[in-house]
Amino acid sequence: MTNALEITNLRKSYGDVQALDGVSLTVPEGSFFGLLGPNGAGKTTFISILVGLVRKSGGEALVFGHDVETDYRAARDAIGLAPQEFNVDRFFPIHEVLEHKAGYHGIPAAEARVRAADALKRVGIYDKRNTRFDWLSGGMKRRFMIARALVTEPELLILDEPSAGVDVQLRRDLWDLVTELNEQGTTILLTTHYIEEAERLCDEVAILDSGRVVAVASPEALKGRGADHITIHLHNAPHSRPQLLVGDDRVESIEWNDDQLIVTAREGGLIAPTLVRELDREGLEIVDMEIARTSLEEIFVEMTHSGVDRTPSDQDEKEHAAPIATDGGHGERTQ
Amino acid sequence: MSAIDRLAARTPLPVGFYTLTKREILRYVRRPKNTFAPPLITNILYFSVFGVVLGARVGEIIGVPYILFILPGLIVLGAISNAFENASFSIFHGRWNEYIHETLTSPLSYTQMVWAYIISAAFRGLLVGVIIAAVGVAIISSLYQPVPVENPFYLMAFMIVIVLLFASLGVVGGLLATDFDDLTMMNQFILRPLVFFGAVFYSLNDLTPLLRDISLLNPMVYMVNGVRYGFLGVAEVDPNLSLAVLAGATVVVASIDVWLFKRGYGLTD
Ligand SMILES: Nc1ncnc2c1ncn2[C@@H]1O[C@H](COP(=O)(O)OP(=O)(O)OP(=O)(O)O)[C@@H](O)[C@H]1O
Ligand SMILES: [Mg+2]
Repeated sequence: MTNALEITNLRKSYGDVQALDGVSLTVPEGSFFGLLGPNGAGKTTFISILVGLVRKSGGEALVFGHDVETDYRAARDAIGLAPQEFNVDRFFPIHEVLEHKAGYHGIPAAEARVRAADALKRVGIYDKRNTRFDWLSGGMKRRFMIARALVTEPELLILDEPSAGVDVQLRRDLWDLVTELNEQGTTILLTTHYIEEAERLCDEVAILDSGRVVAVASPEALKGRGADHITIHLHNAPHSRPQLLVGDDRVESIEWNDDQLIVTAREGGLIAPTLVRELDREGLEIVDMEIARTSLEEIFVEMTHSGVDRTPSDQDEKEHAAPIATDGGHGERTQ
Repeated sequence: MSAIDRLAARTPLPVGFYTLTKREILRYVRRPKNTFAPPLITNILYFSVFGVVLGARVGEIIGVPYILFILPGLIVLGAISNAFENASFSIFHGRWNEYIHETLTSPLSYTQMVWAYIISAAFRGLLVGVIIAAVGVAIISSLYQPVPVENPFYLMAFMIVIVLLFASLGVVGGLLATDFDDLTMMNQFILRPLVFFGAVFYSLNDLTPLLRDISLLNPMVYMVNGVRYGFLGVAEVDPNLSLAVLAGATVVVASIDVWLFKRGYGLTD
């Protein structure tokens, strides 16, 4: 099977700025791949090289086996891109902009008209088809960018921060849409600042920092690399503090605060039953226990040494609560 | 447009190239007030003032009324400046607002992209040339004499070659420009002087030998001369040589355009 993307040691410098510093990545066909990284990490630069808007300084980039420079036509034909910045022809009504885009990809006028209408319906702005881009609202503009990426029915759909500044409804519509496309076989490359989005959608994520790939893994595996926090409240503070979990190398630290015990360890969910048994054996009565799983966000911050935006909080969308775990308390910890 | 679309679908024209050319043509055809009214009005003024008023004093040049003598030059002036302006503006505007990305990220070959811009701009130049010719012919034939077309083949060939040449130059201009003022500069300070000293309004024979030799360095002289040969059948320079040189120049400039697109000059970082 060919890979959707095969990137080897890709480099890009803008004068003194080394935007990409030897990026190697493989995106399998059919996958939903996330590209995460703080501002300026090089995500947009990476994508722009694939579609020919930025010239690489070194390395190799193949799109479905087609080199982005020597075989640029085939490479570009495979890609549908919804870029971070609006770059739309504002002279023509939006349905014509789509028809033109389809035409450049070799789709004859009659079929292009059908495709344009379909794409506009798909993102829910068909009733605006005769309007120019400038007259769309901000959210509709984002929708239009997706429609333009879809109109050529690309094998690889690239979304560069599609959910920046969009409301909850649009973000959900977008998630549904891309999930559906991915299920139908479209490979998806998504960049985002919203960790939750990556966690929910992606099979695999690459974390990019200062032009380098610092990690490539599934969101689950990445989370497994971080430590969990088990917080236990005892009925009474113990007279003497017992030695717990001796010899378990998954444990990073054990802290006591009177009647409260905080164990920091990898695979907290697996350690918890042992911990409960040991406390029981010491005759200590547990009144409350929480396991806070590491969020992907924490891993991300640790790996990139920088802050990220959180999804503008909508409580109903929180998802990473394991059965006996709650999400509480990340903010209080210092790393 | 759909009748033309259907027609195009039956030709071997690549769809991508056809689409981009069509888009570029629609961009000015849909704004007739901007595209066609200005050359119409300007040239009615030119013919009235230079031709009718001034012409009454100048009398005849190379055996024809002055107004007829300047007709080819005015056609050339309108045609090439519109071809140049359209190509340079369209490319620069697309770069400025980044919608040229829609084209650049598409699977068109660089050659197709360039020729779509050239042909659409050249076509605008031709349309404007036809408008000016119509104005000129209307005025001249009602006030003076019928306008002859002695060598229709040369007339067509020269017109086509010069609008292609200036559309190609316009592509270079659109890629080189860094702001809108650059575009105005190119038109006002390079194109216009060349045209005005290109024997539009006077005959080379009226110049001193030195000035005449200097004038022959101006490519505009050959264009005006060629188009004039098409209408009047008199040439001050060999039309075949002129045509060959201009066609050669067009090929060279268009190749430079393709090379610039390939390198991404002004288009990619
Ligand atoms: N055209 C350019 N000229 C010079 N430097 C640039 C250019 N484009 C990007 N850079 C620099 O390259 C680096 C990577 O930028 P890039 O836009 O790829 O980051 P990003 O990961 O997409 O960031 P964001 O999350 O903010 O969109 C940054 O330091 C940026 O300033
Ligand atoms: Mg970016």
